[in-house]
Amino acid sequence: MKNMIAVVGLNYKTAPIDVLEKLFAGCSREGNFPAVLKAIPGVHEILHLSTCNRVELVVSTDDDLRVLDLLKSFLVRSGALTNNEVSCIYVHRDEDAIRHLFRVASSLDSLVMGEAQILGQVKEAYRWALTENSTGIILNRLMHRAFRTAKRVRTETGIAANPVSVSFAAVELAKKIFGSLAGKKTLIIGAGEMAELTCMHLIGNGAEEITVANRSTAQAEILAEKYHGRAVGLGTLDEVLCDADIVISSTGAPSYVVTEDMVRRCLRKRKNRLLFLVDIAMPRDIDPAADGIENVYLYNIDHLQDIVDENMKSRRRESLKAEQIVHEEVAQYFNWLKELEAVPTIVSLRSKAEGIVRMEMEKASSWMGSLESEDRDKVEALVNGIVNKILHAPMTAMKEESAEFQSQDIVAAARQLFRLDD
Amino acid sequence: MVSLETIMFAPALACCVLAMTGYLLSLLVKKVSLARGSTWILAASFVFLSLYLLLAAFHSTGWDYFGSRHFLSIYAWVIAGIYLGLQFKTKTRLLGAFIVPFILLLLIAAAGYGSGKNLVPPQWQSWLTNLHLVLAIAGEALFILATAASAMFIIQNGLLKRKKPGKMGRLLPSLGELDRINHLGLLWGFPLLTIGMIAGTVYAAFVWGGQWPADPKVIWSFAVWAVYGFLLHQRLAIGWKGSRIAILSCVAFLLFLSSALVIRFCFATVHNFI
Repeated sequence: MKNMIAVVGLNYKTAPIDVLEKLFAGCSREGNFPAVLKAIPGVHEILHLSTCNRVELVVSTDDDLRVLDLLKSFLVRSGALTNNEVSCIYVHRDEDAIRHLFRVASSLDSLVMGEAQILGQVKEAYRWALTENSTGIILNRLMHRAFRTAKRVRTETGIAANPVSVSFAAVELAKKIFGSLAGKKTLIIGAGEMAELTCMHLIGNGAEEITVANRSTAQAEILAEKYHGRAVGLGTLDEVLCDADIVISSTGAPSYVVTEDMVRRCLRKRKNRLLFLVDIAMPRDIDPAADGIENVYLYNIDHLQDIVDENMKSRRRESLKAEQIVHEEVAQYFNWLKELEAVPTIVSLRSKAEGIVRMEMEKASSWMGSLESEDRDKVEALVNGIVNKILHAPMTAMKEESAEFQSQDIVAAARQLFRLDD
Repeated sequence: MVSLETIMFAPALACCVLAMTGYLLSLLVKKVSLARGSTWILAASFVFLSLYLLLAAFHSTGWDYFGSRHFLSIYAWVIAGIYLGLQFKTKTRLLGAFIVPFILLLLIAAAGYGSGKNLVPPQWQSWLTNLHLVLAIAGEALFILATAASAMFIIQNGLLKRKKPGKMGRLLPSLGELDRINHLGLLWGFPLLTIGMIAGTVYAAFVWGGQWPADPKVIWSFAVWAVYGFLLHQRLAIGWKGSRIAILSCVAFLLFLSSALVIRFCFATVHNFI
């Protein structure tokens, strides 16, 4: 019977987050479910991908829709989905399934297009499937092709090139201003969540020495401790501002916390070293007039958002190139899959022929013993030549037919004619 | 018969043209990989140029043989060498897009001179004039480097101040790195030029006696030297950094360039070897 590749699952596009969470939890409870799934009649190979944005089963099965129904009901059961929620489940088959998986691995199907985590999650899912021994020749190759596609998309297109989050955009700007962030001092004014996120990315890129300034020192201390920095009150702002290279401000203050005058004084003290100010507060914390000062670069949340929007647009442009790569890779994999149909028959035909040759040669060994070894080699070559010539035509025919997915008849005929199933 | 020397000069020039094209393309399509490739091509050009100069240095007629073509080539060679050396320390491949035009212009000018005048007339040849020549060239080459970095700084600064870094901003090196290159250029260029000028002065004082300061090139050179001295002083002592120094570096260089051209075409000078 013909083989089928399918993807059964749901993702953030088709299902609300609570349904995904329910299913995610349900699948985790299911225990050793690759084994359970593989026990479903008709399922040959299976891989289970589960992230916070999607739960999907990638399977290689018999070409039978009933198998897909069984998989669907498995998902319904594990997630305890209601009748309404069942409609969230999608099924992709064959070429569509392959394309879907390649797009997922390449982050074209992600909530934030081009994000890097998904490839790691797909790899993790595959690693798990390998330890469970639930994949075989078809899915193994499918997964390797998916990784290859993802790699090509990352290197050949700019889909992951530019940051699409405000905090990453701020880090990129800091790099454009200072070059390396190593040894750069960061000052956080106000202990907001966004400021903390940006700070975390800055540290990840080599920034050192964090100072947190907050109205309530207690809260500042919590944050400071987390990043091995020090906490100060807003009273000493003048002083700590002069030491900082990067300033991230996000207080809820109604008026400017950092005035133009403060920045100007500061710059004189720090001998005009470059200063990067990030104002992510609403209303503003830092007087916009400070941007007029030489060697001071002030970005507020709107500027950063503009950069992010621009980058998002360029990612969408790049995604067209990425889709083309996916298209090529799907075609290549599909070709391989088609040829695979005839491969087992070709292999058994060849081994049967080799078996016959071996047997006949053994039988003939009694009289061939009197021949010179050179002549024996010649006889052997002659026999192999004849066998190969005879097999060449049927094997080529099977390969050719399989390219069109129409080899079932001819493969069946070959099996019968050469009695391969006996 | 075509000499081996000429054979070396041709590929040096060709590689330089190729590198220039690569750098321009890199700016155009905004891909730093092209600039990276161009840097290797420039390195090839540098090797050919080195061979060319080496062959010239061992020419049978010795120092007399050095003409305008060699002078311009040495100039290009030093700039290329400093730029390539810097590439070991910083990742500012795109700086080439601003440096290579100078190198290319010098090489094209060099190609224009078949043999040219003697670089140093035989009666003035001494180790002092050689020292004067080499150090002055090296100092000026470093100033060209500082200027190129400054020009890039001004562009990058404009992009960042306008809050639109975009592709160009991503392509250009960071402000910090560019400012550092300007710093290095001034820091090393100024003392080299100073020693070079002292060497020239000492020689002139011995050989020509009283009349040498009247030479227009000398007067202009002192003016340019003073401007660069002022820049370096402001940078080191007063702490001028970033855009102000970048703009002033460019102004100083334009002054230096225009003086060189004006003197070349409008005045009679003893420094008339091109």
